[in-house]
Amino acid sequence: MSRSSLLTKQVESDWKVSGLGLIAPPPITIESPHFSGSLATLFEVVQAHKVDLRDVPLLPICEAYFRYLAEQPEVTVDEAAAALCALCFLLERKAWLLLPSPEPEPEELLAFEFDPTALGELEVAIAALEIWHEERSNLHFRSVQVEQEVELDFGGVSISDLARAFEELLAKAEPEPMESLAADRRSIHDQIRTVREALTRAWATLPSLVQGQFTRTEAVWWFLALLEMIRQRIAKVRLVEGEPQFALI
Amino acid sequence: MNEPISPVDALEALLFVSDSPQPLASLARAMDLTEGQTEQALELLEERMNERGSLTLMKIAGGYQLATKPFFSDLIANFLRPQRQKLRRNLLEVLAVVAYRQPVTVGDIEKVRGVQSDHVVRTLVERRLLRECGRKKAPGRPFLYATTQEFLHQFGLKSLDDLPPIDRESSQGALFGHEPAEVD
Repeated sequence: MSRSSLLTKQVESDWKVSGLGLIAPPPITIESPHFSGSLATLFEVVQAHKVDLRDVPLLPICEAYFRYLAEQPEVTVDEAAAALCALCFLLERKAWLLLPSPEPEPEELLAFEFDPTALGELEVAIAALEIWHEERSNLHFRSVQVEQEVELDFGGVSISDLARAFEELLAKAEPEPMESLAADRRSIHDQIRTVREALTRAWATLPSLVQGQFTRTEAVWWFLALLEMIRQRIAKVRLVEGEPQFALI
Repeated sequence: MNEPISPVDALEALLFVSDSPQPLASLARAMDLTEGQTEQALELLEERMNERGSLTLMKIAGGYQLATKPFFSDLIANFLRPQRQKLRRNLLEVLAVVAYRQPVTVGDIEKVRGVQSDHVVRTLVERRLLRECGRKKAPGRPFLYATTQEFLHQFGLKSLDDLPPIDRESSQGALFGHEPAEVD
């Protein structure tokens, strides 16, 4: 089919001109709790900010696209390209939406125990702290010099050795559940606490430290926390028969 | 023949290059003087700086440090544009509880404030105003928190003794109503 006849066919079938051009993506249908319709429609409503893409799982759409490629007797390259463009756009937009944002301060729920007289005793102190903090902001001191690149003591263990240990851990990790993408919020500080519970003064390999099932994200957290602990000189690392071992200092 | 170095000038030089409060003992050691002699020189330096110049001598966070006089505050703020945030009420409440009752657990803080405080404590630890200082010898071994040198510095305090006094004897509340935490 020539390009001109293809365009004629598109116009005849009353396809709309969208952000993807004259070529509409194939009729891939999406059914989710927050959006039902075709891929082309999803593309348009996301462009117009009429739907929150975080509520629309993209994996089934990608699967539907691959099914379309595999099952259609004659796949039009232009249609397939239009679908790919739409999918890339949606994936990129969703990736941006899922990037970590500053953690909002949670609502302070009531505590289990409360002594209403105690805070009253501190009112003078709280007021004084507020004033002193304000006054202190009028004074300027010599800035603390930015620390030079911290010299990390990896005890002769190379970055490649560490990367190998990390890869070994990743290989044992379970697939990531879809819902964890948006929900994961934690700090290295929290993870260090977890690692400290597992790490002792006895040397241990990374995979032996992480007990039970864990995801790839958790593997990354474990590795980052260990690196931070080495940087803070809480933990140390050595190489035994090509395998890094970790221990508390 | 070399001129003898004036202790006041020497102190000024040492404090000029210091980026953190210097304890009296450390200054005395550097100048090979007694702490008494160093204290006298510090008084003279303070007088000299108060009379002229743009700097002042501050006794802060357990040591001595040079700072710019408040008169130059706006000028410096325009020049450096420092990112200093006003502390919110909830942060001040937690700081006050910890300052008077340290070492304390998050549970102790919540008992005084009446609301969950773990997020606020974490924020203050990240801002280096609080630090973990051990675990309480109690079920669950909760972390104990204390104030830091940075806390004293941020509030322009010499030490925790500068905080307004609270009568511990007459205190009826949760603030001083129980024994200090036993550290594990």
